[in-house]
Amino acid sequence: MATGEPDSPAQEGMALSQEEDRLCPADTGGDKLSTGLEELPAPQSNGPMRSVDGQEEPSDKDLSDSASTDTALEDSSEFGRPLMVGACETGAAAVPPTRRDEDVTAASWRARRKHIFVLSEAGKPIYSRYGNEEALSSTMGVMMALVSFIQSGDNAIRSIYSDDRKLVFVQQGPLVLVSVSRTLQSEQQLRQELLYVYYQILSMLTQVSITRIFERKKNYDLRRLLAGSEKILDRLINLVESDPSFLLGAVRCLPLPASLREALGALLQKAITPNLVFSILVARSQLVTAVQERAVIEECRLEPTDLHLLLNLIGASSAFQAGEIWTPICLPRFNPDGYFYAYISYLDAECTVCLVLLSTDKESFYAVSDCKKRVEEAMRTQGSLQALSGGLQSPSYGVGQVGVPDLRHFLYKPLDIPENYRQLPQFTSPELEGPYCSEEEQHRLFDLYHYLHSRIHSTSRPLRLIYHVAEKETLLAWVTSKFELYTCFSPLVTKAGAINVLTKLLRWIKREEDRLFIRYPPKYSTTPNPGKGTKGGRPDNAENGFFAGL
Amino acid sequence: MAAAGGAGPEKQVAPALLSFFIYNPRLGPREGEEEKKILFYHPNEVEKNEKIRNVGLCEAIVQFTRTFSPSKPAKSLHTQKNRQFFNEPEENFWMVMVVRNPIIEKYHKDGKPIIEYQEEELLDKVYSSILQQCYSMYKLFNGTFLKAIENGGIRVLKERLEKFFHRYLQTLHLQSCDLLDVFCGISFFPLDKMTYLKIQSFINKMEESLNIVKYTAFLYNDQLIWSGLEQDDMRILYKYLTTSLFPRHTEPELTGRDSPIRAEMPGNLQHYGRFLNGPLNLNDPEAKCRFPKIFVNTNDTYEELHLIVYKAMSAAVCFMIDASMQPTLDFCRKLDSIVGPQLTVLASDICEQYNINKRISGSEKEPQFKFIYFNHMNLAEKSTIHMRKTASVSLTSVHPDLMKILGDINSDFTRVDEDEEIIVKAMSDYWVVGKKSDQRELYVILNQKNANLIEVNEEVKKLCATQFNNIFFLD
Amino acid sequence: MSRGGCYLALCARPVHFEKANSVNCVFFDEANKQVFAVRSGGATGVVVKGLEDKNPISFRMEDKGEVKCIKFSLGNKILAVQRTSKSVDFLNFIPDSPQIEYTQECKTKNANILGFCWTSPTEIVFLTDQGIEFYQVLPEKRTLKLLKNQNINVNWYMYCPESSVILLSTTVLGNVLQPFYFKGGTMSKLSKFEIELPAAPKSSKLSLSERDIAMATIYGQLYVLYLRHHSRTSNSTGAEVVLYHLPREGSCKKMHILKLNRTGKFALNVVDNLVVVHHQDTETSVLFDIKLKGEFDGTVTLHQLVLPAQSIQPYQIPVAGPASVTNQSPVPCKLYSSSWIVFQPDIIISASEGYLWNLEVKLEPVVDLLPDKGKLMDFLLQRKECKMVILSVCSQMLSEPHRGTLAVIATVFDKLNQEYKKHLEAEQSYTMAVEAGQSRGNPPLKRPVRTQAVIDQSDMYTHVLSVFTEKKEAPHKFTIAVLMEYIRSLNQVQIAVQHYLYELVIKTLVQHNLFYMLHQFLQYHVLSDSKPLACLLLSLESIYPPAHQLSLDMLKRLSTANDEIVEVLLSKHQVLAALRFIRGIGGHDSVSARKFLDAAKQADDDMVFYTIFRFFEQRNQRLRGNPNFTPGEHCEEHVTFFKQIFGEHTLMKPATF
Repeated sequence: MATGEPDSPAQEGMALSQEEDRLCPADTGGDKLSTGLEELPAPQSNGPMRSVDGQEEPSDKDLSDSASTDTALEDSSEFGRPLMVGACETGAAAVPPTRRDEDVTAASWRARRKHIFVLSEAGKPIYSRYGNEEALSSTMGVMMALVSFIQSGDNAIRSIYSDDRKLVFVQQGPLVLVSVSRTLQSEQQLRQELLYVYYQILSMLTQVSITRIFERKKNYDLRRLLAGSEKILDRLINLVESDPSFLLGAVRCLPLPASLREALGALLQKAITPNLVFSILVARSQLVTAVQERAVIEECRLEPTDLHLLLNLIGASSAFQAGEIWTPICLPRFNPDGYFYAYISYLDAECTVCLVLLSTDKESFYAVSDCKKRVEEAMRTQGSLQALSGGLQSPSYGVGQVGVPDLRHFLYKPLDIPENYRQLPQFTSPELEGPYCSEEEQHRLFDLYHYLHSRIHSTSRPLRLIYHVAEKETLLAWVTSKFELYTCFSPLVTKAGAINVLTKLLRWIKREEDRLFIRYPPKYSTTPNPGKGTKGGRPDNAENGFFAGL
Repeated sequence: MAAAGGAGPEKQVAPALLSFFIYNPRLGPREGEEEKKILFYHPNEVEKNEKIRNVGLCEAIVQFTRTFSPSKPAKSLHTQKNRQFFNEPEENFWMVMVVRNPIIEKYHKDGKPIIEYQEEELLDKVYSSILQQCYSMYKLFNGTFLKAIENGGIRVLKERLEKFFHRYLQTLHLQSCDLLDVFCGISFFPLDKMTYLKIQSFINKMEESLNIVKYTAFLYNDQLIWSGLEQDDMRILYKYLTTSLFPRHTEPELTGRDSPIRAEMPGNLQHYGRFLNGPLNLNDPEAKCRFPKIFVNTNDTYEELHLIVYKAMSAAVCFMIDASMQPTLDFCRKLDSIVGPQLTVLASDICEQYNINKRISGSEKEPQFKFIYFNHMNLAEKSTIHMRKTASVSLTSVHPDLMKILGDINSDFTRVDEDEEIIVKAMSDYWVVGKKSDQRELYVILNQKNANLIEVNEEVKKLCATQFNNIFFLD
Repeated sequence: MSRGGCYLALCARPVHFEKANSVNCVFFDEANKQVFAVRSGGATGVVVKGLEDKNPISFRMEDKGEVKCIKFSLGNKILAVQRTSKSVDFLNFIPDSPQIEYTQECKTKNANILGFCWTSPTEIVFLTDQGIEFYQVLPEKRTLKLLKNQNINVNWYMYCPESSVILLSTTVLGNVLQPFYFKGGTMSKLSKFEIELPAAPKSSKLSLSERDIAMATIYGQLYVLYLRHHSRTSNSTGAEVVLYHLPREGSCKKMHILKLNRTGKFALNVVDNLVVVHHQDTETSVLFDIKLKGEFDGTVTLHQLVLPAQSIQPYQIPVAGPASVTNQSPVPCKLYSSSWIVFQPDIIISASEGYLWNLEVKLEPVVDLLPDKGKLMDFLLQRKECKMVILSVCSQMLSEPHRGTLAVIATVFDKLNQEYKKHLEAEQSYTMAVEAGQSRGNPPLKRPVRTQAVIDQSDMYTHVLSVFTEKKEAPHKFTIAVLMEYIRSLNQVQIAVQHYLYELVIKTLVQHNLFYMLHQFLQYHVLSDSKPLACLLLSLESIYPPAHQLSLDMLKRLSTANDEIVEVLLSKHQVLAALRFIRGIGGHDSVSARKFLDAAKQADDDMVFYTIFRFFEQRNQRLRGNPNFTPGEHCEEHVTFFKQIFGEHTLMKPATF
């Protein structure tokens, strides 16, 4: 539906106004919004829902154009439409357009490294990474049949192994996700990947609504709500395979002088408004700094998963690159059923530095937007933006800087950051260079990292250390109370040599840690007194668990 | 894995065989004929439709996986409660083995039991190998499925399957399977060149004078010294001998070392030789000379043979003669009179030599490590991990988790055929080393808990120098 | 090979001389093996023919009466002629020295000279009925000088030139024998001994005839052979030959008894260390070999005949005069004729027909007469001309129709290899002695002679085994069994097996696809390591992949083949493995970078190339403080290649400290 429509990226001012024009000539965007958003997080809240309930089984038509929650749902996705559209364009550049209508009977389709399928309990196709879902409906039908057959035996299917493939099944509520992979990833890792896909879907639709839809209509075609969002999932899956932050469940920080980082943190700390809970500054999808609402931190910390999904969402769309965006978004690991309201805006012309402000108050757009202005202002005066983008010109850093020839690449995840437990887990790794410039070599390397990770973190037989002299490189994985380290050496390195490299590497990281990591996460308080906080949070209160504690 | 909250005593329940069946989809293609597909089903009590359903599932799984790799269909299905292993040893003949995951039974504070399935405990490779061995063992004594049908129709095949697996399935020790079942290797008896040549010439002379003998195999202390059979046939025959036949015939007074002195040989008989199968008493004119039949080279010449196993002290010889020849009592007597004395002498020679070599190498003291060595080229296997492996149990001297780590390393090795080396430190602080060089694999478990990587490497180097310095092992 | 036939024969080229008659007397000199034909006392000429010398010596001398005995000194320089029982006349045959005889009377008064013997070119022994006189002849002075003499009553004497021992029969019965030994102008008396007579003689008359005594060297030892016409042990009638061993020092000892199991007239010869006993009545002969096992009764060994009695091969007397003139068919020679005279060791003379033969033992016929292959080998191995016969016996027992059982084959191989081993040991101890000798200037010892009985691996290979395996008529099981049997036998006596034998085994196994057998053999190092073998295995890889592993193992065990190992690995594009190996043996600083970079490039794997390239960059850095390659290493093309794949910036920068 959305994809069909023409779209012109916003020229000036607020994207919001545009939204209005396009979405609802009659209504005011505000109302339209509210009807949607009110309903959404509050399934038990009454009104329009009743009317739906009143109806005898709704048809697709009803669902689409009756003022039901589902309509609201679609609207809410409408709301995000520009990013979908934007995604189309960027997506088009990223991936061959033919991919979706790939011939699912062709050997080339079978030969794909990894397939991902999402289907409904009714066996209706929702998403397929390659090939169009219609063509795959029979295959997905079989998948569902297998799942339910085994279920009927009071058992649950996990996976199928053949000589060259793993088929992994995950069932989440009304959705079934299947991965068919030739990679070295373990079953657990593939399952994790499928969960990322699932969460990404939630981040757009939330759990409750999905559940509700299928309660209402077993064989509902969810693609109607996800239309255009395939690009987001495609992008996510590509990322998961190539970006260690998903594997390590940690965020990559942009290496910066500690002083600059602290200054920027301070900026965000000042630029606040009620119900603002997270202020995040990213550059090239590397974290610069993130500030959290104190009260929130009391409860729980921002899950890296949620951040990854959020960044993926942003990255998938070029629409964000112009002006300001105000969009509802669910952080499923934080709370699968509620929406936050994300304010997203790039601070520089090159669209490398991006400010993300999360609020619990759907009405606070102007307030939040104002915060951004303050941040922008302050940065201008401090000239920190130049400093930032200056640091961005050059690739973050090469392994050469460690100064040990046999070392090719590494992933380092510190576990001894102060206040670690309430911080975003972080990691660092050098740029891929030397022999790993080609894509297949990178795939190979990350396969190896996946393999190391799966062995050392095996649920049944975890290990402390792995030293693997492999075909084309020598690998070492090492988990201690202080860090988690994965290194890739020349295959000709000797054991003594490797140990020596390791000590040098660790020394180097210690020296650099202030540059590489956020040491002391800044916080702020936007809820002077609980009462106000609760009121401020009222509409979401019922769902958003994090205020319940107050 | 022992989840928190579980109070009270935990009970470990070992993995167990849930079901085992063999079917051929071609036999009941039409609706309503599904039962015809099933050639064997254990447990037999299972209600008919249940059988059909389970077979159906397997067919579906296989079919489904073919949509992604037509040539490489499913090998195993993992579910919360069990694993199913698929094997197609002959075209369209499928063998399926369903094994229940090990269980931990705990009791909640309020006393109600919690059952926890340990889904990561079974190693696919191990149980797939077990399944393959099931077929090989069946084939050794019954020939191929197809031949059975050609010669006697489905009925005969079903009877044979029933007859064989009814007994064989009870001997599967699923709770104590490990890497060695994957290798299913042959342990060779270490011997000096001269003694080996003596044995060679003994065998040649025997085959000359007992001219109906087609193949001969020679074992000492349950270890192979010579096989006239091809490697794969020998592999499974060896398994049968060492895990089934020999254990049934170890008589107390002769177990262990032979005495090099042959003085105390009983006056009446000139030797210690005796048949392990066939006639019990040669002097009894009524004695039955029935020997088990075996099938070898089934994929080309398809030979059917009588298997005669004859033993003197710790030396055992398998004489295999063409099934068309019925070995008579006279033949057995002749064999006994010719082979018996020579074999007795040979046995004590070997023992003597063996003791000398032992004294030289002084391999008595318990070393700091345990190891498994396997060579895919000649199936040679060497292990200090199993004290002894019988049909019923294999007593391992290392913790099962370590054995599973070995299994993991092994499956990592099978991914690429380049030489590799993997050293890991387990949570228990044991070091486990896996080395793969050409077609050889070596696994070492070291219990120097506070050794470092380099020291461990040194240890392994030492081991290779002492145990394997005569082979090319890349460092 | 000739089957059947007789194992005894007279030599093809006999010495022919004018047959004895009233005017022509014939003498035989055992020392020079010369026949003298003296016509009418020499006046009408003396013709001397020897076995060796083609052209006979002939001369005249004035007839000074009947010649009793005539002999040349060793080397034919001086002729001694006995015409009376008191003196011996001498005549120099030294070129241009006056042809005037000179005479020597025997010292002992009224003693009669029984005869004389030359013990050297200028030394002569007179034997008289009363003793023995040892002279030196001074031809230029034409006189003799008495060196030594001894008085004993002598019944008869016997001379054995080979050992220069003279035996005197003394005492009344004559059965006490006194040996003397002559060497370099000295005469030494050996301990005397007594021959046991068959039965206590009734009268005290001479009862040991010289016809019943012979002296001969058998297997390098001097024996006195006594033909005893009646066994002393009552149970067995029939004559026997008793052998007394006569050592240089120490007393003579009775050692062997050869049972003839017959009676009558006998004559002895010793040929090729075999005692041949001719029996006139049956006109047959029998063989004894004292080396063969006999029954030992604690003091002496009893021997039975080795072979069934047989008569000497029929002999045709070549027709006198040029055959062209008189074309009459050759006359068969009468064997065992009473006119035959037998001399030791192997000489038969027929004075009546004027022939002198050497008796010969033919081995081919023996093969079929000795069915027991073990005994046959024991017999053959002692013979001079045995090699080809033995080899043919071996080939014969490996092929139909006379194929032997493995057991027999084994024993034959074992016997051959024991002999082979003996020789090797002798060789070895010789070389060791030589090395030791050189250190202190010992006199050079003589290298052990290699007899035909030494049948080494190459003999077996070329004459027997290779042919046998080529033929492929035998079932391969048997072929392999035989080869393994031979290898076993060699190992048993600790002889290092040559690789070509192993190659034979491998070829046979490969021909029949018995790779698993091959693998087992190698596994137990039955086919011992060698570079040629390793290479052969490598060549098999295409048909039997495991051969690669096997050959690598072998190269590794050789420990002198590191270069080969590297080559093998590189040829399989296992560049990293090769480099690791080199490093393992500490050679990585000296290997050629180019060689490895080439291999890496052929491996056609950028990762490998990167790794190798980096490795050498680091080596350069370590050795020369600079990662760049020197022109000498000729790696330019590789550097360019590296740049073009990974970019210039990827080149290693010189480390700055």
